[in-house]
Amino acid sequence: MSILYVLIPLALLLLGGAVWAFFWAVGSGQFDDLDTPAMRVIMDDDENPADGNES
Amino acid sequence: MTTGPETCFHCALPVPADLNLTVEIENQQQPVCCPGCKAVAELIRDSGMSQYYALREAPDPGVGRPPEETAEWLVFDSDDMMRAFAELDGDSTEATLYVGGMYCAACSWLIETTLAKLAGVVSAEVNPVTHRLRVRWRQDELRFSGVLATLADLGYQPQPLAPENTTRPELVEQRVALKRLLVASLGMMQVMMFAVGLYAGDFQGIDAEMQRFLRLVSFFVTTPVVFYSGRPFFTSAWRGIRTRKPGMDLPVSIAVGGAYAASVYATFTNGPAVWFDSVTMFVFFLTLGRFLEMRARHRSIDRTVALSSLLPNTATRVVDGSTAVVPVSRLQAGDRVRVRAGDGVPADGVIVHGSSSVDEAMLTGESRPQAKSVGDAVAAGSVNIDALIEVRITSTGSDTTLGTISRLSERARYTRPSFVTIADRVASYIVVALLLVATLVATFWYFTDPSRAFVITLSVLVVTCPCALALATPAAFAAAGSRLSQLRLLVTNGNAIEALSRADRIIFDKTGTLTRGSPSISSVFVLDPAYTAHDCQRIAAALESASSHPLARAFALEEELPRVTDQHVEIGQGVSGKIDGRSWRLGSAEFVAAGVTAEDSVATQVFLAVHDEPVAWFEIEDELRPRAASTVDALHKMGVRTSLVSGDRQSAVEDVASRLGIEDFHAQCTPQQKLEIIQAAQRNGERVVMVGDGINDAPVLAGADTSIAPAHGAMLAQTSADLIMLGNSLEPLTTALNMSGKTMRIVRQNLAWAIVYNALALPLAAAGFVPPWLAAIGMSASSLIVVLNALRLSRFE
Repeated sequence: MSILYVLIPLALLLLGGAVWAFFWAVGSGQFDDLDTPAMRVIMDDDENPADGNES
Repeated sequence: MTTGPETCFHCALPVPADLNLTVEIENQQQPVCCPGCKAVAELIRDSGMSQYYALREAPDPGVGRPPEETAEWLVFDSDDMMRAFAELDGDSTEATLYVGGMYCAACSWLIETTLAKLAGVVSAEVNPVTHRLRVRWRQDELRFSGVLATLADLGYQPQPLAPENTTRPELVEQRVALKRLLVASLGMMQVMMFAVGLYAGDFQGIDAEMQRFLRLVSFFVTTPVVFYSGRPFFTSAWRGIRTRKPGMDLPVSIAVGGAYAASVYATFTNGPAVWFDSVTMFVFFLTLGRFLEMRARHRSIDRTVALSSLLPNTATRVVDGSTAVVPVSRLQAGDRVRVRAGDGVPADGVIVHGSSSVDEAMLTGESRPQAKSVGDAVAAGSVNIDALIEVRITSTGSDTTLGTISRLSERARYTRPSFVTIADRVASYIVVALLLVATLVATFWYFTDPSRAFVITLSVLVVTCPCALALATPAAFAAAGSRLSQLRLLVTNGNAIEALSRADRIIFDKTGTLTRGSPSISSVFVLDPAYTAHDCQRIAAALESASSHPLARAFALEEELPRVTDQHVEIGQGVSGKIDGRSWRLGSAEFVAAGVTAEDSVATQVFLAVHDEPVAWFEIEDELRPRAASTVDALHKMGVRTSLVSGDRQSAVEDVASRLGIEDFHAQCTPQQKLEIIQAAQRNGERVVMVGDGINDAPVLAGADTSIAPAHGAMLAQTSADLIMLGNSLEPLTTALNMSGKTMRIVRQNLAWAIVYNALALPLAAAGFVPPWLAAIGMSASSLIVVLNALRLSRFE
């Protein structure tokens, strides 16, 4: 059981890392728009690339 | 003009029956209503983005407004404009724009994809909720005007925002709330894991050292959850104490703070139990609720930006005979500006040169343009119709009529009786009662069994947490709001649904609300048998082709028209011209020929004469919205009374009222009078819903219990309305009323459940049968039931 004394602090370190990463992502504006990304995955970037026409 | 069953593929307006314009989308010929829509649809198709049509939620109501001329955007390339609106960073430039005419996520996708294909664009991000576009481009490949013109070509109205307008408090609030939510959820999960170990230890036995270790790490993880995620509860509770209005946050804070303090004490003195798991779970659920509520609150449109979107971006300033295009924000009182026909007036002022007619529909509700000449005042936001005028500016910005109206609507908004304040007051009593009960329980157990007193008091505080009670209403409103937006109704104010469900009277505005706001010929009366009705219409269309008067649009025909020479527009009177050597006049009775008298009619009459001999007259009417009559009828069947108020003429208002079966109507109302009519109805104990769109309605909308605006209305009215109707039909109105009734039923069910739960849980907890962890689960489960019940609303048909 004494392995827990290593594993739990390790888990807390990882947790701290995850929180830091999330704070950074929020701070850089990646979570400012919570509506569009849900739509974006179902949209193709380009369904029929302009045939001969300039785009 | 007859309207066929076909509607435009792009903008969903009716396609004129005699028009045969189509656009090929996904191998199918689709009808469009005008060359403008055809061009936009083709642009979208050729960019490989036909998907837009499959994904958009509502047809694009932004079109119909011609794309602004490219030249107008060139002024934004100048150095001082770039300094004002853009930020140079390395070799690329970034700017934030407000994009008018954007209605759904598909629009944002269209904008982003189109811009991304533009050479020189580095990135483009659109937030469909705030209508903001952040675009970054390389200055050596693309000019700012190129970005703006591309957006205008798509049918949107871009408006550059100065940097100080872009970092908004809402965004900061959302970022902090997200961080708090994440800390609470991760912390809760970790502490739960440790708690499983501790509980297992209680049954199977555990090393004293391991137990202390698990408690210690729980303490480390719980501390940020309590002090970072839970901070808003403590500050709000403290504010409640200081203002002597204790809110829901006070018992929450006592429970969280007390449980945390006792757990910390137990951790460091090897006490019998810790409650870190209950604390984190509690904080997480509360934070989640706050977060969802905040998101709903932010779904409103930026007011200041919407107001200025009625104004043109630039103005032509005249200094010593030479002209320069300057941004509107640089104009000052005393400046002289030139306003071309078809342009918006940039600021309040007095005409110093020229005469024209000015469309003030947005400000006064008067559907017909007003003739103005030297010495007359013009207001910012009105549109110059006929001819070029020069205006000396008297006031700008918030000093203008437009600004005043917006301030008036602000004031009306503040005086609105809000059920939120009532709910807060009721909550105060509940909270005080809960605290009293908890104190009684604590005292009782202190004298009977002091060792259990704290645990039981804690359970009572947690289990009676008015969470389900507090969630009962917002959860139902949020579900109803999202369902309504799928049904093309946008809720911008949470109170709207509650007020709507009790609506006694619906007051309609006329122009642009019950009617479409675009005139058409309702009947043709031919006086001279030598001509057919169609001949007259063709001649009139040819004559009016030179005029940009709103009435002229009613005459437009999509066919080969006779050639007109000597065409001449008399401001506010009519048009004249020669066809095949004969001189024709079209306009008011006095203008056309002697001896013609206008009959008393509800419609606007326009006469046609050749060589001073009357030939025909036209009646022009503003068409009613689709299903307006059936909607009003349905409202009457639901037991709702209706009224009509309008700034328009008596006869026109009377006609619309009689056609729709509205018995109570008021014509020629100023905004002040409209507000008084509403207040009079409110004094009679009626709950009033106002449906209107113009800016002049903004204070009126804010004064009603609930307000609804059609999406075509001025942006300002949209922002002050509690509910926005998308699309052309009035039918969503009945849907909204049905939905609000259903929502209030769910709210009552939820409240009943929350009360029953608390009534059952409180005695059990007070008797000592509920440990704190079970209390936290019970509290969460009751909240969950409330939320699931509310979600049934999202399947409402």
